[in-house]
Amino acid sequence: MEKVITVKIAGPAGTGIKSAGLLLAQVLNESGYYLKDYSEYPSLVRGGHNTYQVSFSVNEVYCVHKMVDIFVSLAKNHWQEHEKEFTKNTLVFADSDGKTDIPLREMCGQLGGSIYTNTITLGLISYLLDLNKELAKSILKKHFGDDSININAFEAGYLWGENNCQKIATDKGGNKEKKIILDGNEAVGWGLYKADLDMFVAYPMTPATGLLHFLAKNQDEFKLKVIHPEDEIAVASIASGASMAGARAAVGTSGGGFALMTETISLDAMAGLGVVYYLSQRPGPATGMPTWTAQGDLLFAVHSGHGEFPKIVLAPGDWNEAYEFGKLSLNLANKFDIPVILLSDKNLSESSTNIKDFTSDKAEIVASNKVIPGKRDKIKLYNSYEHDEEGFSIEGAEESKKMADLRLKKSKEILKEMPKVNLFGNDKAKKLIVSWGSTKGAILETLREMKNREDFAFLQIRGMWPIDPKVSQIINAFSEKILVENNATGQLEALLKSQMTVEFTKRILKYDGRPFFPEELKEALND
Amino acid sequence: MTNWRSGVIPTWCPGCEDFIIYAGLQNTLAKLNMDQDKTVIVYDIGCIGNMADFVKAWGIHSLHGRSVPTGVGIKLANPELNVIVIGGDGGVYGEGLSHLIAAARLNIDITVIVANNQLYSLTTGQSSPTTPKGSKTKSTPKGVESVPVVPLELIKAVNPEALAQHVSCLEPLKVAEAMEKAIKHQGFDLLDLDQLCVSFGKQLR
Repeated sequence: MEKVITVKIAGPAGTGIKSAGLLLAQVLNESGYYLKDYSEYPSLVRGGHNTYQVSFSVNEVYCVHKMVDIFVSLAKNHWQEHEKEFTKNTLVFADSDGKTDIPLREMCGQLGGSIYTNTITLGLISYLLDLNKELAKSILKKHFGDDSININAFEAGYLWGENNCQKIATDKGGNKEKKIILDGNEAVGWGLYKADLDMFVAYPMTPATGLLHFLAKNQDEFKLKVIHPEDEIAVASIASGASMAGARAAVGTSGGGFALMTETISLDAMAGLGVVYYLSQRPGPATGMPTWTAQGDLLFAVHSGHGEFPKIVLAPGDWNEAYEFGKLSLNLANKFDIPVILLSDKNLSESSTNIKDFTSDKAEIVASNKVIPGKRDKIKLYNSYEHDEEGFSIEGAEESKKMADLRLKKSKEILKEMPKVNLFGNDKAKKLIVSWGSTKGAILETLREMKNREDFAFLQIRGMWPIDPKVSQIINAFSEKILVENNATGQLEALLKSQMTVEFTKRILKYDGRPFFPEELKEALND
Repeated sequence: MTNWRSGVIPTWCPGCEDFIIYAGLQNTLAKLNMDQDKTVIVYDIGCIGNMADFVKAWGIHSLHGRSVPTGVGIKLANPELNVIVIGGDGGVYGEGLSHLIAAARLNIDITVIVANNQLYSLTTGQSSPTTPKGSKTKSTPKGVESVPVVPLELIKAVNPEALAQHVSCLEPLKVAEAMEKAIKHQGFDLLDLDQLCVSFGKQLR
C-alpha cells in the first residue's frame, strides 16, 4: 500500500504557519497527491502555539494522521509538546534547541528580516519530499508577487536541506485530474452559491467565520449581498425578512450565536420562511474553546426553537458533502419554507482537502412556492402568531389544531428528500461503526489502514432530522454496534433512541476539543 | 381608491389612541397613492402590532423587538419595496433598541413608527424604557429607577441625517402629516408617537 506522509509545522501565531501550510498544500496538490490538512491554534492573534499539519498520498487519504514524518518548529520550544507524535523515524527540525538544528533565525538575518522562517521551512520541506523546485517557486511567486526575498528564503531552505539532510522516500505519480483546494467553510459557500443564494448574513464566530469571509470576498462575482449586522439576533431576523421578500437567504454561526438565533428559527417555522442556518460546532458550554472542535450541538440543533414544528438538520461528513448539502439545504429550505440547519464543526469547516474542481458545475434550483410582495401575488400576512392560510391571527381550538397539523405533516414529505445513510465497508461484518459528521474522515482512514478492516462496516448518518426510523433495521442487523462521536454524552445515540429501538455495545467518545486521529481510533476499535 | 383595511375589526380598547395611528396610516397610504403590492408593513409584538390583522397590505407580524431587523432584511432583499415598521416603545426601544440604533446608523430607507405609551400594555401594564423615573407600574410598585430613553436625541446622536419626529396622538392631523413626511423621506426615519394607555396608563397622566 502507498504510504501516507504527514508534515507538521509549529510555532507562535503570526509567523505565517497557516500560509506556509496552504502553500505546501498547493505544491502537493499540483504534484498529484491527495491531501488533507488540519490546524490547531489558540484564540489569540500573536504568540501562543499554532500548528499546521498535512497528510498526503498518491491515493485518497481521508484525514490527517497523528504521527508525523517531518516536524518543523519555527521558533524555540515548539516541538516538546508534540513528542508523542514522533516515531523513531520522524525528522524533527528546530532552531537551536536540541533537535536537528536548523539556523532559521540566522538565515532570516542574512535575508534581511525575521519573517521568512515559514518560507525557509517550505524550501526545506520541498527538498525533503523531493517536490519539484520550480513548481514550488512558481506557486510562491503567485502568492508573494515580486517579493524576491521570499523566493530567496525558499532557496536557502532548500539548499540547507541539500547540504544537511537526505530526502525521504515518497511515492510519485498520482492523480493528474485538476483539483481545487478548499476548506469546509468554502465548500459550503460554493454549495450555497450554486443553489442561487441571494443573501448571506453573519456575525463573526469561529469556526464559521471563514464562510463569511469567503462569501464577502466573492459577493460581486457571486451576485449576492453579504451583511454583517449588530448581533446574531439581527442576523437571523434580517435573513427571515429577506426570505419573506423572496430572497434565498442563509446565515452562519457557531453554538453561542446559534443560541441567539433560536427564536427566529421558531418564527421561520410559524411564518413559513425558508432560511439556512450554517452551524459550525466548537466545544461549549458558553464561550468554551473557540478554535477547537466538537460535535456537542446535535441535540441542540435538532431541538432548537420553541414550539413543535418540522425543521431539517443535515450533517455533511466531508468536503464533497459540505458542497452538496450547501446546495441541498437552500433547496430544501425553499421547497418546504422551513428552517434548515447545516451542521458542521471546526474539524471540517477549517480543514482543507483537494477535490475535483466543481466550480463550473450547474446545480438544480428548487424555488419556493410562497407568495411575495412586488410580484402581483395575492397579498398575504406572514405571521408569528398562529394564523389561518391568509395569515390572519387565530386562536380557535379546531382551526389552530388544523394549522398545527398542516405544518407538522410536512415531515413525511421532508423525509423523502433527506440524504440517505452511507454504509461503508463489509456489510456482512459482525461489527458496525455508527457515526455522523466529520468523524467520517477518521473512520474511513482507520478502516483503510486496518489489517482487520473486513471485521467492520461503517454507517454514516447524514440526515439528522427528521431521521429515518428505518435506520434501526440497518443497525440491528449487526451483532456489535459501536458508537463513535466527538462529544461526551453520545448525542446521536440519544437521538436514535428517541425515535427507534437500538442498543450500542460500545461507545468511543472524544471530547477534548481535538478530532479523532486514525491511530487512536484504530486502537479503540481493536480494544 | 385603494382599500387598506382588511375587514378584521380592531380589538383595541375603546378610546385607545392606536385607532388614531391606524386611521392616520390608512389616510396617508391612500393620499400618497402607495402601490399596495410594493408596500410591506412589519409589525412588532404589542397592542399596536395587532394592527397586522386590520390592514390590507403585505405584512409580517414578526417577533417582539425584532421588527426593525426584519424590515431591514426585507428592504435589503428588495430595495423597490416601501417598508414601514410599526411597533411600541417596549419592542422598539426596549427589546430591540440595538437594532433601532443599527438601522439608523445604516441610514436604510425604512420608516419606523412607534406607538410610545410609556408602558407595556398588552401584558397589562409594566414599565417600559420610556416610563418616567419614579412611576409606579405593576413591575415597579416602588417606582421606576431608570431614567427614560429619549428616542429623538438617540437617533440624532447616531445619525444626524436621519429624520426623527415626535408627535402627540392627541393631534391626529399632525400624526398623519408626520407619517407622510416620514414615508416620503429617503433614508432612515423614526416617528415617535406619544400616547397614553387608557386601560393601564392612568397613573402616568
